[in-house]
Amino acid sequence: MLLTLDLNDPRPLHEQVTAAIRRAITDGKIAPGDRLPPARDLADALGVNANTVLRSLRHLRDEGLLEFRRGRGVSVLRRPDARQALESQVRDLLDEAARHGFRPHEVIDLIKELS
Amino acid sequence: MNTSPSAEGSRPRTRFLTAAVAWTALVAVALAVMPLPFRDRLPSPMATHWGPSGDPDGAMSLTALIVFALALWLAVAALCLAAASRGRALTRRSARAWLVAGLVWGAAFSLGLEAVTVAANLGRARWEDAAPLGPQAVLVAVAAFAAGAIGYLAARRGPDEPPAMPDVPQTDLGLDPGRSAVWVSSVSSPPLFAVGLVVLVAAGSLAVAALFGLPAPAGPMAAVTAVAGLAVLSVSTVAVTAGPEGLRIGFGPLRWPSRRVPLSRIERAWAERAFPSEVGGWGYRGLPGAATIMIRGGDCLVVRYTSGGQLRISVDDAANGAALLNALLSAPLR
Repeated sequence: MLLTLDLNDPRPLHEQVTAAIRRAITDGKIAPGDRLPPARDLADALGVNANTVLRSLRHLRDEGLLEFRRGRGVSVLRRPDARQALESQVRDLLDEAARHGFRPHEVIDLIKELS
Repeated sequence: MNTSPSAEGSRPRTRFLTAAVAWTALVAVALAVMPLPFRDRLPSPMATHWGPSGDPDGAMSLTALIVFALALWLAVAALCLAAASRGRALTRRSARAWLVAGLVWGAAFSLGLEAVTVAANLGRARWEDAAPLGPQAVLVAVAAFAAGAIGYLAARRGPDEPPAMPDVPQTDLGLDPGRSAVWVSSVSSPPLFAVGLVVLVAAGSLAVAALFGLPAPAGPMAAVTAVAGLAVLSVSTVAVTAGPEGLRIGFGPLRWPSRRVPLSRIERAWAERAFPSEVGGWGYRGLPGAATIMIRGGDCLVVRYTSGGQLRISVDDAANGAALLNALLSAPLR
């Protein structure tokens, strides 16, 4: 499973890990029914604590994207729906804007201007 | 790897195989003939096994000793010959060196054991009176390894022809320069895991039996069985990680031991399919420089080293792992 992390992301680690796994599912790098590598392997590869990864996995389960099954590990249940996919893109946009000093309402103004 | 060697490349191969078979026969004859001149000066049966104290504790007839030494040698030689006759194995310099090392080691070890055994029994009336054997046995083991090492160095010459690399199209992974990418995958085999556990449990039972005073071999047997069990467990599950630091393979449920291959040592990576029937079973297969870590048949990640060697690991999602490694290798800043 291919994961990408933003090197300058100011968000807490567990949110970054959540976003990375969600992006992998959205992009189809890992398909519904596929099993995720064990949390410890993910943690080792990303250089974070295993608990951080577990927290992300639980969050994604609560979003309905992952399924935990006893003895079978964690597998992908479904892709994020359009709204969830859009939501994560908007969140990326807001983070990018914040990095350049734009506040959310200024982004909203910009969107209104363009639409 | 089922392509038969070309007519041009087959001559050195035939020569190597002929020499290996001749060597096998020569050593076998030496094993059978060497003790015969001393026949009249040996007790019957003669001491063939020594306890931890260095005193003899087991005996066999001379014929049985010769048969035992021959079986040991032929087993080693057969393994080497089987590996040598496999496909294009002999086109690799390192493979030839390892095979020669194995053949020299096996010959030195079996001949050394036989010579030491005969020498200890020489001129004794009963096998119980045979000379104690301590330093000699160590000497044989060390000398055999030294001979193997010399064989390895002596045979490490000649042409080296790495297997052809498939053309790998550059896959666009959509990597942003501002993002770091890692690829994580793992593969496990429940049957291998079960076998490893069973062997470990057997080792535990043997250890307990030894504690409660079962005959002496139970202790060493428990140790050997435990090592075998751990070896099987270590290839029952494997985690493979690729990232800016290169490739990392963690063996066993604890992901330890682990093996790292820095990017600077990797030339290219690709994915292919391989099955246990092609590589000779499960686990670590083949010789260093042309090895396969086979956990289950199917998708495999292959890494070609800059040194010409390669490593193949059966792992899920290998295509993405290979694509990431290639992307990292072609990145301007690495």
